[in-house]
Amino acid sequence: MPIVLEQLSHLYRSGPSTTTALEDINLTIEDGELLALIGHTGSGKSTLAQHLNGLLQPSAGRVLLDGQDINQQGAHRRALRFQVGLVFQYPEHQLFEETVYKDIAFGPKNMGLEAEEMDRRVRSAMELVGLPFDEMQGRSPFELSGGQMRRVALAGVLAMQPRVLVLDEPTAGLDPSARDYLLGDIQRLNDQGTTVVLISHAMDEVARLATRVAVLERGRLVMEGPTTDIFTQQERLNAMGLDIPESYKLARRLNEAGLDLHGHYAMDELADQIAQAIKGGGGDAA
Amino acid sequence: MSDQPHLQVKDLSYRYEPEAPLALDGVSLVVPHGQFVAVLGHNGSGKSTLAKLLNGLFLPTEGQVTVSGMDTRDDGKVWDIRRTAGMVFQNPDNQLVATRVYDDVAFGLENIGVPSEEMPARIDEALKLTGMLEFADRAPHLLSGGQKQRVAIAGILAMHPEALILDEATAMLDPRGRKEVLDTVQRLNREQGITVVWITHFMQEAATAQRVLVMDHGKIAMDGTPRQVFSQVERLRALRLDVPPMTHLAQLLRQRGVDIGMDVLSVDDMVKEVKRLCPSCLNS
Repeated sequence: MPIVLEQLSHLYRSGPSTTTALEDINLTIEDGELLALIGHTGSGKSTLAQHLNGLLQPSAGRVLLDGQDINQQGAHRRALRFQVGLVFQYPEHQLFEETVYKDIAFGPKNMGLEAEEMDRRVRSAMELVGLPFDEMQGRSPFELSGGQMRRVALAGVLAMQPRVLVLDEPTAGLDPSARDYLLGDIQRLNDQGTTVVLISHAMDEVARLATRVAVLERGRLVMEGPTTDIFTQQERLNAMGLDIPESYKLARRLNEAGLDLHGHYAMDELADQIAQAIKGGGGDAA
Repeated sequence: MSDQPHLQVKDLSYRYEPEAPLALDGVSLVVPHGQFVAVLGHNGSGKSTLAKLLNGLFLPTEGQVTVSGMDTRDDGKVWDIRRTAGMVFQNPDNQLVATRVYDDVAFGLENIGVPSEEMPARIDEALKLTGMLEFADRAPHLLSGGQKQRVAIAGILAMHPEALILDEATAMLDPRGRKEVLDTVQRLNREQGITVVWITHFMQEAATAQRVLVMDHGKIAMDGTPRQVFSQVERLRALRLDVPPMTHLAQLLRQRGVDIGMDVLSVDDMVKEVKRLCPSCLNS
């Protein structure tokens, strides 16, 4: 069952003034999809993320999971929220336990799981993010590399076995190899059925992973659709201070000059099509 | 400015603790005045360590670092060196100390004992050079990340440095902030002749430098122009680095039997190459 945001609005109050962080958002996150949420800093992306698992209360509107309002008082509220795992920006700043094991076990322990089940989950979460259990479980999280620390933080959320994973700038500040590794983890989790909401400034990553993109501007949902449909609207995105991936820039330039590039503009697809055009001597384009 | 190399590193090694492995291992490097050099390398490759040795924040375990001829181990020169080679760090929130942008820039000047009558002109100039003059009376914590980094740069500029060392200064910024900071530093390099050491994970930023160094295991693994360095795709992969997207695409085209140049860095380069290889494919 999907997550449905219904006319969701959020106001921040500071002293006498209020700021509208989100305004009348209607969005459905389908089961198993990989949705990217993009927008300029301050557009409301992180606020929206925090509504997805009830960390913030809507000023108006509702958040439905399996058709149930996650903010409604009732017995299931806590259980509902455990189904949506939220990985914050720089989540490694929130590691605090003495060992990797204890840090990852913290969430499942909080859920009141039996020791045996907790152990099983810690092991499987570590496996999912590629942390070797025997080697890593007893180490202090603070002596790990930045990329490893981030994977520990991600494992801590995965150990709660959420059906929906919300990641806020998961690769910010990572080096290219750590970034590639983490993107691989995210792709694999999604392939295995976890719904993923990816918040990112890195358009090349969005193009690589997301099947659908939602664009926020000043708290409003202004664009939404398949990734290819969004990134082919360069002027609109640029006007919002957003860039498009290099692959789309190239495809556009070449198409305007007479080539016929199509599909999702993944690097492999582009290479196939451009190689074909060059070898064909531009016969059908001339 | 003198003719001697601006930043000179000779057989430099560094370890954080007596028993720790070498974080830098026999590095030698000469950076001439006015050069813009980007430093790449995966986490733990030694690039941040090198940065901190370049302005005397760390002192060599072995070897020597000189800044405009001053040895960083010379106690009497520490402040001259830090004034000459100013450093900007990753986290914009850890670098600003005052409650007003203007005061933040003044802070560094007070530290180095600039006479108070000279300060307003120097602060105005530094804020103007970074495009932050109109924010002089603002509270730093209300600025965007890119603006905060520009204030940090202004604080250094007011000290009239000859070099700027930026240690992943854009890593925590959004794309707009990254562009603001890179544009500012490129302009300072071009117009003021300031030497720049730009440490980054972003290949597209490095592609705009005059020179690219790649660090690995505490050594300089590659050193050349962006085209020389980025054309070695396999080597970069082995060093756990990315290549710019268009360089990657050029490699994929080669694998498909297209005789494309390997020094493609940008979309412009790629369009030119396609046009060269197949003039009749494109109509303009």
